[in-house]
Amino acid sequence: MTYLDGLRDAASVDAIKNDLLKTAYENEGSFLHRLDPRVLLLWYFVFLFVPWLFYDTGVLLGLLAFVSLLAYVSRVSLFLVALMAFTVASTLASYAVVTAFTGDPMAAIRALIPFTLKLTIISVSSLAVFSSMGPKTLAQGLRSLGIPRQFTFLITYGYRMLPVLFEEYHDLVNAYRLRSAAPDSPGRFRWRHYAYILRISMRAFYPMIFNVAKRSRVTVEAMETRGFSHSLHDEASKDLQLADLRVRPLDVGFFGGSLAVVAVIAVTL
Amino acid sequence: MDSTHDADIVVDDLSFRYPGTDTNVLDGADVSIAPGEFVAVVGGNGSGKTTLCKSFNGIIPHFYEGTFEGSVTVAGLDTATSSVAELSQHVGYVFQEFDNQLVNPTVFEEVAFAPLNYGHEDYRERVHQTLDLLDLDGLEDRFIWELSGGQKHLVALAAALSLDPEILVVDEPAAQLDPVNARATYEHLTELNADHGKTVVTIEHHTEFIAEYCESVVLVEDGAVSWKRPVEEALNRLDDLRAQDVHPPQVTRVAEQVYDDGRRLPVTVADGVTQFTDRAAAGGVRTDGAIEASPATADGQSPVIEIDDVSHSYETLRDGSRQALDGLSLDLYPDERVVLVGSNGAGKSTLLRLVTGIESADEGHVTVDGVDAGSTLPETLADDVVYVHQNPEEMFIEDEVRADVAHYLRDRGYPDVEERVDDVIEYLNLGDLQHRDGRLLSVGQQRRASLAIGLATDPSIVLLDEPTGSLDLASREEVGRTIDRAGQRVETVVIATHDLELAAAWATRIVVLDGGRVIADGPPDAVFSDTETLERANLRPPQVVRLSERLGLSSAPLTVDGLASRLASDAPVEAER
Repeated sequence: MTYLDGLRDAASVDAIKNDLLKTAYENEGSFLHRLDPRVLLLWYFVFLFVPWLFYDTGVLLGLLAFVSLLAYVSRVSLFLVALMAFTVASTLASYAVVTAFTGDPMAAIRALIPFTLKLTIISVSSLAVFSSMGPKTLAQGLRSLGIPRQFTFLITYGYRMLPVLFEEYHDLVNAYRLRSAAPDSPGRFRWRHYAYILRISMRAFYPMIFNVAKRSRVTVEAMETRGFSHSLHDEASKDLQLADLRVRPLDVGFFGGSLAVVAVIAVTL
Repeated sequence: MDSTHDADIVVDDLSFRYPGTDTNVLDGADVSIAPGEFVAVVGGNGSGKTTLCKSFNGIIPHFYEGTFEGSVTVAGLDTATSSVAELSQHVGYVFQEFDNQLVNPTVFEEVAFAPLNYGHEDYRERVHQTLDLLDLDGLEDRFIWELSGGQKHLVALAAALSLDPEILVVDEPAAQLDPVNARATYEHLTELNADHGKTVVTIEHHTEFIAEYCESVVLVEDGAVSWKRPVEEALNRLDDLRAQDVHPPQVTRVAEQVYDDGRRLPVTVADGVTQFTDRAAAGGVRTDGAIEASPATADGQSPVIEIDDVSHSYETLRDGSRQALDGLSLDLYPDERVVLVGSNGAGKSTLLRLVTGIESADEGHVTVDGVDAGSTLPETLADDVVYVHQNPEEMFIEDEVRADVAHYLRDRGYPDVEERVDDVIEYLNLGDLQHRDGRLLSVGQQRRASLAIGLATDPSIVLLDEPTGSLDLASREEVGRTIDRAGQRVETVVIATHDLELAAAWATRIVVLDGGRVIADGPPDAVFSDTETLERANLRPPQVVRLSERLGLSSAPLTVDGLASRLASDAPVEAER
């Protein structure tokens, strides 16, 4: 039991790390990745509105199937899908709990299903779009739409730091474990053990933040010596960085095709 | 060296004071560096050498508020009125904490970052040329965080070179890298200097590298430049260097003990061989100090740590899984001072982590004091085993050193926490630092504090991961003494390191790892005499060992004193020339 647990603790952090990094960086083969990020962003913008135009559960399920297919071909991280499914289910469950006191919980859930479906459609399309773009293309797309580089750079840098932060966090959790006392008896379903792990997992965040803050000084200096702030006002630099953005027939086809699919679903279902 | 450019550095009466402090960190510094020079900047901790070098590309004064007097002119530009961006086209800078200067996911993007920022249309060619220059081609699409330390350092160097600056400043390459990678970096710097005419300035503590690669030395003392001299002359100023905690090369220290006629002492192994040959030959080849039998491990004691046919691997994103340990077996006995040596990635850290139980072996068994480490919680194993992380920052989980030392005892409800903490703090001489935040100490102090955290748990087994990493030589000696003292309190100490000087001076048993396997195991003199195996493990024996070997001394002495007394006694008459 303890052996398995130990293994799971170690493996799951690594597994989540690898899963998220794959989502961020290993998307080059996926279909959506080949599209121009600006077209994808526009597509996403449209799909933020589309679900709200329909009330029929059948149509909404059809739309959900469509965006799920897109999410599938863009190889969305299982961890993120599980996280989303958990959120949706727990939201519905919490409605049921609340409405149990005020009236018929099943009726409330039935009434809330279309609303939840709409939110889910949007969540799934977000997953599909943002995990197939990758931080670099996303930053390029936003930058070409006029968002300042200070912000778009943060996106790529944030992703870049993820594995480093994971590693550091893992080390700090381990530092806590090696210097703390585990509960004497794990309790029923080992809840004491998990509560203990949860507690040190939360405490490990603080030293991590201090360490990162301390190091950022060098990062800022180093970026300056490589012309980061110079690039903010340099048109040639901007053009060069956005040079490989291009809207091609594939992009137009995808956009038009998606609208056609929506129309077909709306008419037939 | 001939130079292809005319970018010189002229520092004229430079003073700088950080805000909120009373003393100038730079105080009337004067130095000039000509185009195409290869210069080492040396000085003690806090002497101002890094501040001096940061004035070359304008980080001082543009990035640090403070009082700036005097002038710095680089490539004809006055740094006070030129921007960092402008100066950076002439000065490439590799920071000491180079890990934090890498801000992009892949090698290609990292090296392309600067040319793209300056809008150079030929950025692709620049990247490929630069990678080619540093033998990094083929790594373009690799993720930075999956590279080894040595590769990361070269990528940081490539990123600094991508703008084709005339001047390169590299801050403490040898402190952050293992000796083999540090040499690789210096070889590349030499090539850049000799073939491409770059001016190279390194901040360096390792005089062995200075002697071998640099042309001249700048000594910084209390914020001023004491002198700038050609390397041989500079390294012969032993008193000046020692006053600044800079240790002369081992060969120079040997010669200092052997000769007292005020002659010019050798600074490299090659020099040493020429000077010492008559001495070594005079006494003939001695064999009396022959290799002794294996250490006192086999006299019936049962091992405290048993590692039985252990394999372990890690997943990476683009390279599949990486085998860290490959069917490794090893028994460690009480009262041993074991050093695991091997280059980066040889499996040293993985092995230590398996002993603590924070990771479980994929295959095989690790047994600690009779308990199976794979099926025991790390919290339980921590009763006997303490692991001191190679990066002390990961050990500081409280906001003062004292609380960190007490954490384990408090959490486990020991009755006499305060006395025990006082005891450890006094033992390791941390009284003045106990109420400071561990993260804000110097690296040497951090190492001492992290050892105190470990010792407070009163362990019987201490695992130290790279305890002398990122330390200058003075702090290294201090940590060495601390480890010695720690060793007196505990039964078994295991150190993982690539610092062979530490291994030579301290160990009773050396285990050489390579590719996740044990390739040599025995007492230091036996292991060090087998240079072939060391080379296979990508390790470089300490200078005294190499020197003795070149001199044909069998059973090579492992320390400066050892070699000096051999050479002194081997000489029948004082060999004057």
